[in-house]
Amino acid sequence: MRPLPFLAADRAAAAPAEAAPVRQRVRFLAIGILAVLLLLAARATQLAFSGDPLAGPRGGAIAAAARADVVDRNGVLLATSVRAFALTATPSLVWNAEETALALKRLFPELERSATVRRLSDSSRRLVFLRRALSPAEREQVLALGLAGIGFEAEDRRVYPQGVLAAHALGFTDVDLNPLAGIERGLEAEIRAAGQAGRAVRLSLDVRMQYALETELDRAARAAGASGGAAILLDGRSGEVFALASWPRFDPNAAGQASAAQMRDRVAGDVHELGSTIKPFTLAAALQEEVTATGELFDLSRPFDIDGNPIEDHEPISGLVGLRDILAHSSNIGAARLALRLGGARQRSYFERLGLTAPARLQVGRNQAPIAPAARGRRDVAGLGFGYGLAATPAALARAYTVFANQGARVEPTMLLRAPGDAIERTPVFSPEITRQVLAYLRFAVTDGTGRAAEIPGLAVAGKTGTAEQWGADAYEEGRNFSSFAGIFPAADPRYVIVLALDETGAGEAGGAVAAPAVARTLRRIAPMLGLRVEPRAEE
Amino acid sequence: MDKAQLKRALHIAAAILVVVLAIGLYKAKTDAARTETHVRQLQTQIGETEAELRGLRAAIAAQESPGRIEAMSEEQLDLAVGGQSSALPESAIGETLPSPRRAQRP
Repeated sequence: MRPLPFLAADRAAAAPAEAAPVRQRVRFLAIGILAVLLLLAARATQLAFSGDPLAGPRGGAIAAAARADVVDRNGVLLATSVRAFALTATPSLVWNAEETALALKRLFPELERSATVRRLSDSSRRLVFLRRALSPAEREQVLALGLAGIGFEAEDRRVYPQGVLAAHALGFTDVDLNPLAGIERGLEAEIRAAGQAGRAVRLSLDVRMQYALETELDRAARAAGASGGAAILLDGRSGEVFALASWPRFDPNAAGQASAAQMRDRVAGDVHELGSTIKPFTLAAALQEEVTATGELFDLSRPFDIDGNPIEDHEPISGLVGLRDILAHSSNIGAARLALRLGGARQRSYFERLGLTAPARLQVGRNQAPIAPAARGRRDVAGLGFGYGLAATPAALARAYTVFANQGARVEPTMLLRAPGDAIERTPVFSPEITRQVLAYLRFAVTDGTGRAAEIPGLAVAGKTGTAEQWGADAYEEGRNFSSFAGIFPAADPRYVIVLALDETGAGEAGGAVAAPAVARTLRRIAPMLGLRVEPRAEE
Repeated sequence: MDKAQLKRALHIAAAILVVVLAIGLYKAKTDAARTETHVRQLQTQIGETEAELRGLRAAIAAQESPGRIEAMSEEQLDLAVGGQSSALPESAIGETLPSPRRAQRP
């Protein structure tokens, strides 16, 4: 149909005036759409080239372990964190607080019923914690009760799979994983950093040696009626501690049930006057300072009087004897004479270089500082010469004995496994010649002296016994000894250091009678682990 | 096709493109959210499995502790501690064991 002529003429006349704003609007719309399209295209391009949006860190990522696993030098697990649960309650949802508390007490007798009822009835709180560190099995038991308002919060719990083994070395944490003792405390920063990095902290300990040392220390301490015991075995050249034991023992998985005496680390945390295990250093210092010579003979048959204070030997030595016999027979008179020749200042200097006046630096949380007052007279200097007047830890003594494995230089013990090629700091104390000479005397002390019980055919142990009377109310008590043995082996190629000490042993229970045999039993078990051969026992 | 029709066709195409883009964006977002949920589920699952593994490793370590192994070897194999040290010394091996036989010629 064709348009009427007058209408077509009207439209033609009106078109330019009406079409202009419409065209304008269409143009704006088109520009708007184009702008939106451009924006979308730009965003799409940005998304296309900005990488995977899911690859970045996100809120729901796997939570890294708060504390890393701790393993021994062979990778055996010593400490780890496992999933545990906190028992919680929402008071507003609990139907019957009395019955709920009773049901929970049947499972967990330590929950006090009245306190639990009070907490379950406290509707002012949204959530209350009733018990921490539930195992998955305990959680299942609670779930089986079907109690309304009772729930769980997942948390980590620190466990020590080896139980009592290496408990004092490892230490423990509280329920919030805060470190309280041992390497958990001493290596806190490393354990946390390793946990974030997802790797384990590797110690220098060896659980097999640790077990042998702990078993023999336990046996010796019980047999001697000791109140405590300490033992440490280390590689004297690298300073790596293979085993570190204290007695009595405790289970770090139930540290709350252990007594303070059980939890006490006696290797780095307890100081004692060390007694005759100090004598080799007196002798070495005297030789080093040339106040005596190898061929000198001493008459030790009579008590040695110092300003009215007589010094005597436990078993008098008749005739003239040399330096070797002073060590072999553990002569107080001989050591006192040498100490007086050395003098207080030089004696102190050697003790300082041996590390006997400073705490050990083992990473076990607490290293007790020695009690090492300066000598005030001849009597003090003489006493220090045979191990009285200076109280140090067995760890510090073991550190001093590393001089025999390093040609006269001291090495700092460590609980961490050293990497091959790690720089080892050595503090020179004695010359290699003097060290070799004293080592030969220490070997003689085991083959023919007070340390005979430590002799193991084939292994060539060198060492020194120590028996120090302990200070009572106002005097030293004969019936309360600190009995010890400090050894180095094998003497032909000295490398390993062992110190074993028993606290509060009775009269007559000298280091040679109670500590030396325990060292021999321990080394018989440990030697094959170190690649050392021992001959069979004569009686077997 | 005249100019007006071409414009209209372009407008329609642009409108369709906008709708397609909007739907595509919605789908991409939905897929991303779904994938993220899945990733979170997997992460939770991995966390749970790792926790279980840590528990299992602890159980294995407890089972393999030296004290337990020693007790088992004594109980089941009659191998007491110190058995190594009661082995024959090298010097006694020749006296105790028969000397090796010389191979006979055919």
